[in-house]
Amino acid sequence: MQVLDDLWIRIAVWFRGLLESFLPPWAVQLTMDVLGILLLIVLGIVVVLAFTYMERKVIARVGDRIGPNRAGPFGIFQAIADAIKMLTKEDVTPTNADRWLFLAAPIVVIIPAVLLYAVLPLGRGMVGVDLNIAVVFVVAMGGIPILTMLMAGWASNNKYALLGAFRTVAQLISYEVPMVVALLTVVLLAGTMSTVGIVEAQASFPFALVTPVAFVVYMLAGLAELNRTPFDLLEADSEIVAGYFIEYSGMKFAMFFLAEYINLFMVAGMITTLFLAGWQWPILPSWLWFLIKVVLVIFLMMWIRATFPRFRIDQMLGFAWKALVPLSLINLFLVALVAKVLEPGWVRTGVLFVSNLALLAGAIAIMAQVARKREERARAAGEAAIKRYYGSEVR
Amino acid sequence: MYGKGIVKGLWVTLKHIWGTYAKDIKRFPRRYAPGGIAKRTDYDLYGLFTLQYPEERYEMFPRFRGALMHLRNPETGEPNCTACGACERACPHGVISLEGEGKGKDRKVTAYRYDLGRCIFCRLCVESCNFNAIELSREYELSRYKKDFILELDDLLKIGDKYGIHKTGEAWGVTE
Ligand code: SF4
Repeated sequence: MQVLDDLWIRIAVWFRGLLESFLPPWAVQLTMDVLGILLLIVLGIVVVLAFTYMERKVIARVGDRIGPNRAGPFGIFQAIADAIKMLTKEDVTPTNADRWLFLAAPIVVIIPAVLLYAVLPLGRGMVGVDLNIAVVFVVAMGGIPILTMLMAGWASNNKYALLGAFRTVAQLISYEVPMVVALLTVVLLAGTMSTVGIVEAQASFPFALVTPVAFVVYMLAGLAELNRTPFDLLEADSEIVAGYFIEYSGMKFAMFFLAEYINLFMVAGMITTLFLAGWQWPILPSWLWFLIKVVLVIFLMMWIRATFPRFRIDQMLGFAWKALVPLSLINLFLVALVAKVLEPGWVRTGVLFVSNLALLAGAIAIMAQVARKREERARAAGEAAIKRYYGSEVR
Repeated sequence: MYGKGIVKGLWVTLKHIWGTYAKDIKRFPRRYAPGGIAKRTDYDLYGLFTLQYPEERYEMFPRFRGALMHLRNPETGEPNCTACGACERACPHGVISLEGEGKGKDRKVTAYRYDLGRCIFCRLCVESCNFNAIELSREYELSRYKKDFILELDDLLKIGDKYGIHKTGEAWGVTE
């Protein structure tokens, strides 16, 4: 078990020893760094290949279909076939596009996505850099794609692309707020901003049990950050065709696609790290635990995508500002209070868990009340309009 | 309670994911077996119904109008066609052109060209035929790699051997 647990680290140490036998120290350091970066990028691409296949299979099964099954056994080479298709496609730039911005957007979108991998603890001791402000880094890097989407939308010189970009900016900026507050809750509990430290702080209880509210809020905000259903209205096919990347084709489109799935893995990894105890939990090797949890979270996202229709834009923004922000703020105060008063341990976890559930139930009750009121008002307004039109009772 | 629908919806989709895989395991050995379609038509709530096209094909219903075919006399094995030219005259699109030789009862068809690309499957040619020589088959895989949409007599006879009158004819109320 111990051997399996340290498998990758052992390989790294062995390889380092091998290099040291014939290279000067600075060259060893350089090689190891470059190799690490390459590995993370390759991991990103493998993740994209694996999860596009998984997504298509899951969504197909929900619709009682089979999904890709032609390329290779069970269609496992479908993603590779798609990649080859993308690479060989013609690359079109619209005549009136802002050429340099148009070219830059797909490159800029992929960089933060890959950079984020640096702070993701993939296993015990398996992290690119153990940054002591990793959480802030994640939030900061998460802000860059917003810019690139606006770049892409503006540079395409296409009204649908621009509309999609507007929607994106509105959505992502709105959901950044509850996301950061949920992150703060976790930071408060763990007492550190380093991702490794947060995972280690969850040795006894995963934070999803300690603060379910923060978990739910972060999950929803993560879905919105990823532009996945039910928050996928910036690429709503039936309304604005494909959103900000409508004019992109070939490899440039593939870049956006890559960034989307790399981000998917990243957000799932962050949820795992922050709320599901990262690589902790016994018996299996740490990196396997991490992978299992990430796959489960991603499955949950695909499952949600396959189930729910999308929000209307005003509903979506209203949900962020009127429901998620107050909820996460109240939760932050609650956690701060309890964490200050009680010592860490069973009692604190129990109190936090129960109070969080109560908070969640209360929030749902208030939302139900509001929804009912609104429905009543709408019905009354409709009846009044009919009365005005017909001059008397409804016939 | 508010939000109950969310959980309910998730449950429904989960049942579909899990149900289709359960069905897969139950039918395990093969999905594309010759008996595949029959095995899959137990119309329960869950399961996959997709037809795996190249491996399995639907058999068309008897009245389906596919490509034209030529029929043989069951005793002699010769084409029934007498090259009278009725179908050529009946066709609104000039799809058919034919040649024959011999006189009276001995008249035989020697060449019959059928332009698949222009046929509208109206079946007027079949109705005009007095010798039970042609019929629309249930052949529906009519696409070609090249623009050779013209079927010769041999091709039409081959299709006829594949499908035969006894099925399509019955469907149209034709008795021999
Ligand atoms: S089916 Fe109609 S169009 Fe086709 S060959 Fe016969 S008469 Fe002509």
